[in-house]
Amino acid sequence: MRTFLYFLLFMFLAVVVILMAALLGDLGAWYFAWLVGTTMIVLISAAGAALLDTQEEQAAAEHAVGGVHKQP
Amino acid sequence: MIDGTVVDLSRAQFAATVLYHFLFVPLTLGLSFLLAAMETVYVTTGKPIYKEMAQFWGKLFMINFALGVATGLTMEFQFGTNWSFYSSFVGDIFGAPLAIEGLMAFFMESTFVGLMVFGWERLSKGQHLAVTWLVALGSNLSALWILIANSFMQDPRGAAFDPTTLRMQLTSFQHLIFSPDAQSKFVHTSIAGYVTAAIFMAGVSAFYMLKKRHMELAKRSFRMAALYGVMATIGVITLGDALGFVAAQAQPTKLAAMEGLWKSEAAPMPFNLIAFPDQARQDNKGAVQIPYLLSLLVTHSIDGTVEGVDALERQATGKIENGIPAVQALKTLSKDPNDPAALAQFKAHAKDLGYGFLVQRYAPDLNNVTPAQVQQAARDTIPPVAAVFWSFRLMVGFGLLMLAFFVLAVLYTLRNKVQDKRWFLIAAVWMIPVPFLANEFGWLVAELGRQPWTVFDVLPTWMSASTHSVGYMVFSLVGFVGLYSIFIVIEMYLMVRAIRQGPEPHHGTGDSRPQPRPALAPRPLPAAVHDTNLEG
Amino acid sequence: MEIYAILQVTWWLLLGVLLIGLAVMVGMDMGVGAILRYVGRTDLERRVALNIVGPHWDGNQVWFILGGGAIFAAFPLIYATAFSGFYVVMLLLLWTMIMRPLGFEYRSKIANPAWRNVWDWVLFVSGAVPMIVFGAAFGNLFHGVPFHFEWNMTSFYTGSFLGLLNPFAIMTGVLSLALAAMMGALTMMNGAEGAMYQRARGLVQAAAIAAIALFAIGGVWAHLLPGYSIVSGPGAGVPQTPLQQVVTTAAGAWQSNFAAQPILWLVPLLGFAGMLGALLAARAGRSYLGWWLGALAWIGVIGTAGVSLFPFMLPSSSNPSVSLTVWNSSSSQLTLLWMLGFALVFVPLILWYTSWAFWVMRGKVSAEKIAEDEHAY
Repeated sequence: MRTFLYFLLFMFLAVVVILMAALLGDLGAWYFAWLVGTTMIVLISAAGAALLDTQEEQAAAEHAVGGVHKQP
Repeated sequence: MIDGTVVDLSRAQFAATVLYHFLFVPLTLGLSFLLAAMETVYVTTGKPIYKEMAQFWGKLFMINFALGVATGLTMEFQFGTNWSFYSSFVGDIFGAPLAIEGLMAFFMESTFVGLMVFGWERLSKGQHLAVTWLVALGSNLSALWILIANSFMQDPRGAAFDPTTLRMQLTSFQHLIFSPDAQSKFVHTSIAGYVTAAIFMAGVSAFYMLKKRHMELAKRSFRMAALYGVMATIGVITLGDALGFVAAQAQPTKLAAMEGLWKSEAAPMPFNLIAFPDQARQDNKGAVQIPYLLSLLVTHSIDGTVEGVDALERQATGKIENGIPAVQALKTLSKDPNDPAALAQFKAHAKDLGYGFLVQRYAPDLNNVTPAQVQQAARDTIPPVAAVFWSFRLMVGFGLLMLAFFVLAVLYTLRNKVQDKRWFLIAAVWMIPVPFLANEFGWLVAELGRQPWTVFDVLPTWMSASTHSVGYMVFSLVGFVGLYSIFIVIEMYLMVRAIRQGPEPHHGTGDSRPQPRPALAPRPLPAAVHDTNLEG
Repeated sequence: MEIYAILQVTWWLLLGVLLIGLAVMVGMDMGVGAILRYVGRTDLERRVALNIVGPHWDGNQVWFILGGGAIFAAFPLIYATAFSGFYVVMLLLLWTMIMRPLGFEYRSKIANPAWRNVWDWVLFVSGAVPMIVFGAAFGNLFHGVPFHFEWNMTSFYTGSFLGLLNPFAIMTGVLSLALAAMMGALTMMNGAEGAMYQRARGLVQAAAIAAIALFAIGGVWAHLLPGYSIVSGPGAGVPQTPLQQVVTTAAGAWQSNFAAQPILWLVPLLGFAGMLGALLAARAGRSYLGWWLGALAWIGVIGTAGVSLFPFMLPSSSNPSVSLTVWNSSSSQLTLLWMLGFALVFVPLILWYTSWAFWVMRGKVSAEKIAEDEHAY
C-alpha cells in the first residue's frame, strides 16, 4: 500500500513535470535549456570528481599489487 | 529640465555601483552550484573530503556573498533615489520583476544561506544538501528576475504608454518574462557566473598544487571546476551568439556600434576584427576585416545584412519628426485626460513618442524645432561606438581565452596530470581576473550600447534622472566610491587570507567536523593515494 | 472599476504587511546591533549575541529589500518621489545598512581586539541609524514633504535635508528605535544565558516604557498637526495622475478615519497592549511570549500610522493638491493583479520556510560552542 501511494505520488509528479516542461519548452526554450543544462553541468562535474576517486583507487591498487604500477 | 551634469553624474554613480556589484554576483551564481555539486558527491559517496571541500569553498563563498548582498541592497533603491522619472515612468512594469525577485528568489537564497553555514550539525545530510541546492537555485532565480527587468530596458515588450496616467503600463506579463532578450540574457549571464566560479576555483586549486598543499582537495576541486567550466564556457559563447542575434532585431544601433559599422553595405558583410572608430567623422581609422563573417555571425546566413549608422540615423530623423506631435498632445492630456482632439493626435503619433522626448533635450517647448535640432537628436541615437566596439571585442577575446584554458585543463585533469604541469598551474592562477573583466565588459556592451535610451526607443536617458543638484550627486558619488573602496580592500584581504590559510580550522579545537588531513608530502604520490582510500 | 479599487486597497494592506515584516524581523536584528555593546561586555558575549541572530539576519534583511521592491511595483510614484526627495536620508540609510552584512560576516574572521571593536561600532551604527530613519520617514508622512510635479510628472523636491529632521520625525524615529531595541533585547533573552540574559531583560522593560510614552505623545502630537483631506478628485479605482485632484489641510484631519470608524481605535490600542504585554512578559521571564507581543506592538504602531494617513501615502506640504494617495500612485490593474498572484503564492511559502529555519536553529547559543565552531560569527 505504501509503495503504491508513493508510486501514485511520483506518477503525479512526473505528469506535472511533463506538463511544465512542455509549456516552458514552448514559451521559453532558453529557460528550459538553462534548467536542463545546469543540471547536466553540475552532474557531469560531480561525476568527474567521482571518476578521479576511481582513477586514484585504481592507481593505488596497481601500485599495491607491485611492480606493474604506471607512473602517474 | 534636468541639468546635464546631474544626468552624467547619475550615470557615473549607477555604472560605478553596478559594476562593483557585478564583481561579486557572478561568483555567487556559479560557486553556489559548484558547492551543490560537491555536496552531491559527498552525500552519494560519503567521502569526507567532499564535505571538507564544500565547507572550505563555502567559506570563500560567504566572504564574497556578504559584499554581493550589501552592494545589491543599494541598487534596489538607486532607481528611486537617482532615477526618479524613470521609476515613475516604467515602474508599473519594471518594479514587478524586482519585487518578484525578492518574493521568489532572494528570500529563499538568504534564508537558506544561513542554514547552509550554520546547519551542518543540525540538519541531516539530505536536508543540508537540499538547502545548498536551494541557495544555488535562489541566487540564480534572483538573476533571472533582475535580467527580466533589464531586458525590458533593452527591448520593451508587453507594455504600452497610457496617456491618462502618463506612463508605461503593463499589457502582457508573458511577453515581459518570455522576451527573447530576457531569455538569452539570463542564460548568458547566469552561465557566465559559472565560468567565473570555475576559473576562480581552478585558479585557487592551482595555487595549492603549486605549493603542494591540500593536494587531495585541490585535485578534486580542479577536476570539478574544469569540467564545469568547459561546459559553461561553451554555453556562454552559444548564448552570446543568440544575444547578438536578438540585438540585431531589437537594437540595431547597439549592433552597429558593437561592429563599428558606419555605412550600410551589401551582403556578404565583412567583420571588423580590429578597428578604431571615430564618432565625429563616423568612420573607422584603419580596420582589419574578415570577409563574410559579419553576415554569418549576426544573421546566420551568407546573404543577410544589417544596417549601418548612416541608415539608422536617417530613420531616426523621420521618427523624431513623427514623435513631436505625440509629446505636444501629451501636454494637453496632462491637463485634461479626456480632450478628444489631443487623444486622436497622440494615438496617431504614439509609436514614436520616445523620439519626441529625445529632441526635447534641444528644443524643450517643441514649438519651433529646427532641422539642425532634429539632426542633433538623430546623432544622439548612436551609442558611443568606440567604447562599445572595444568592450565587445575584449569580452569575446577573454571568452575565447577561457575556452582554450578549460579545454586544456580538462585534458590534463582527466589524465590526472595537471599537478605536474607547473606552467599550466601558474597560468591558471593568472587566469583568475579574466572572467571578472569579461563580465564587466559584457555589462558595458549591454548598457553603453543601449544609449541614449534608458528604455530603448521609449525613454531617453537625459530625462530619466532625478532633479537633484550637482552638489548632492557629487556628495553621493564620492561617498559610494569611498565606502566601496574600503570594502573591497577588506574583502580582498580576507579572501586572500582565507585562501592562504586553506581548509584547516583556524581557531579553537574540538571541532566536531572530521579533521582535514595534514598537509601531505607531495611525493611519493602513491602514499597520498593510499591515504584517500583509507578514508574513502 | 470596482476591481481596481479593491486591488489598490489590497496592495496598500499588503504593503503594510511587508513593512510590519520589515519592522519586526529587520528591527529585531538591528535592535541586537544597537544594544550589542551594552548587552555584550566581553568579546565572547558579543559573539554569542551575533550568533543568536547569525543564521537569520540575512533572510530577515530581505524584508527590507522586498519592502523596497513592493513599493516600486505597487506604488511606483511613491517609490520615485519619496526616495528621490529623501535623498540624503536614503544615502544615510543605505550607507549604514550596507555595512551591516560586513559587520556580521567579517567581524570575527580576525581575532584582533581593535578590528572587532571597530566592527562592533559599525554594528551599533548600522543598527541604530536605519531604525531612526525608518521611524522618521513615517513621521514626515504626517507632516507632508515639499514636492511638486511638472506637466509630464517629473518630480521636484524643494525641501532640505534638515527639514526632514523636524521634532515630530525625530520623535517617531526614536520610537522606532525603542521598539527595535525592545525586540532585539527579547531576542537576546530567547538565545542567551546568564548575565547577558539579565541585562537584556532589564533593557526590554526600559525600552518598552520609552516606547509606550513616545507612542502616547505621538498620538496627541499628531492630533495637533495639520492633516490632509481630499476635496475633489477622480476618486478610487480610476486611472489618474495626481495632477487632477484638490486637497486641503486642517488640524485634526488625521483623526477623521477614526471618527468615521470608531472600531479603528482598536489599532492603537493593540500597539499599547503589545508594548505593555512585552514588558510584563519580560519581567515574568517569558521572552518568547514577549517577542510575539512585541510583534503585535509593531502591528499596532504601523497600523495606526497607516489608518491615520489613509488614503494618503505621501502628502505634499508645498502643494497639497498633488499629494500622493493610494488612488493616484498605484500601478495599473494588471500589474497589481499579477503581483497579488505572486504574493499569495510566495508570502505563505516565505513564512513557512522562515519558521522552519528558526525551528532548526532553535535553542540557546552557548559560549563554549562558539569558541569551538569554525563557522560561527
